[in-house]
Amino acid sequence: MNDDAEQKLNALFAAARATERDTSRAEFGFEARLAARLREESGGSLFAWAWKLCPFFAALALAASWWGHLNLRAEAATQIVAEATQENAEQVLLAYMTGASR
Amino acid sequence: MAAVLPPADADLVAATLGGDEDAFAELVRRHQRRVFGTASRFARDHHQLDDIAQEVFLRAFRHLGKFRGEAPFEHWLARITVSACYDFLRKERRTREQVSLDAHDFDARDTNIDAALAAGRARELVEYAMRRLTAEERLIITLAELEERPMREIAALTGWSEANVKVRAFRARQNLKKILEVSHER
Repeated sequence: MNDDAEQKLNALFAAARATERDTSRAEFGFEARLAARLREESGGSLFAWAWKLCPFFAALALAASWWGHLNLRAEAATQIVAEATQENAEQVLLAYMTGASR
Repeated sequence: MAAVLPPADADLVAATLGGDEDAFAELVRRHQRRVFGTASRFARDHHQLDDIAQEVFLRAFRHLGKFRGEAPFEHWLARITVSACYDFLRKERRTREQVSLDAHDFDARDTNIDAALAAGRARELVEYAMRRLTAEERLIITLAELEERPMREIAALTGWSEANVKVRAFRARQNLKKILEVSHER
């Protein structure tokens, strides 16, 4: 009984081997499709890199804007001091020479 | 006058690595029939077949620098083909498990081996039964029974030990038999 099943299975495999699928339709134009995919891959890799670098560029932009913001505040303070110095040059010089804070 | 011999595969590999795209196209032309032959054992339709074959040659192209020329190029490519087919089977099985097992497949009334043989539908019956095997079992049945590759060669292609291949092949065959019996009893 078991031998019979084995034989049947062997016969089934032999028959399946004899009827191979025709691949000519799938093979038609394969080279062109593959070449296009290879080109797409090599072009796509640059695109992928650009996407990967997105967080880096975002962080850089944030850092730059923060630095700009801090600089603007410092500049504004400097401007006020400069204006005050121009208007009260004598008092500022006196305070500097005597060490008085007011 | 001596006839000009076509370049050897190893020369074409070297030329491809040197940036010659035509050399790779020639390698594809030479070996695509064999790749398609193996892949057609696993693919369900022409689209899947095309996908697998493209994956094989893309992997070959990406790893061409690793080809040392110690074994023939076609052996190296056969390993890539088997690996790509195995990955395809595992992926397909995962997808199919989510969708449910193919209802439209083969008519369960035709799962009698004798009837299938008489109707010339042996390949369909084998495919029907194989889709119910695991990816490993399906791979090994295909290589051992349908492609009649020796166990040693299967071991080299899959990276499994020869003893492991034998055990897996035996179990796969038993499972296939069970599937055919159960389907027929329904």
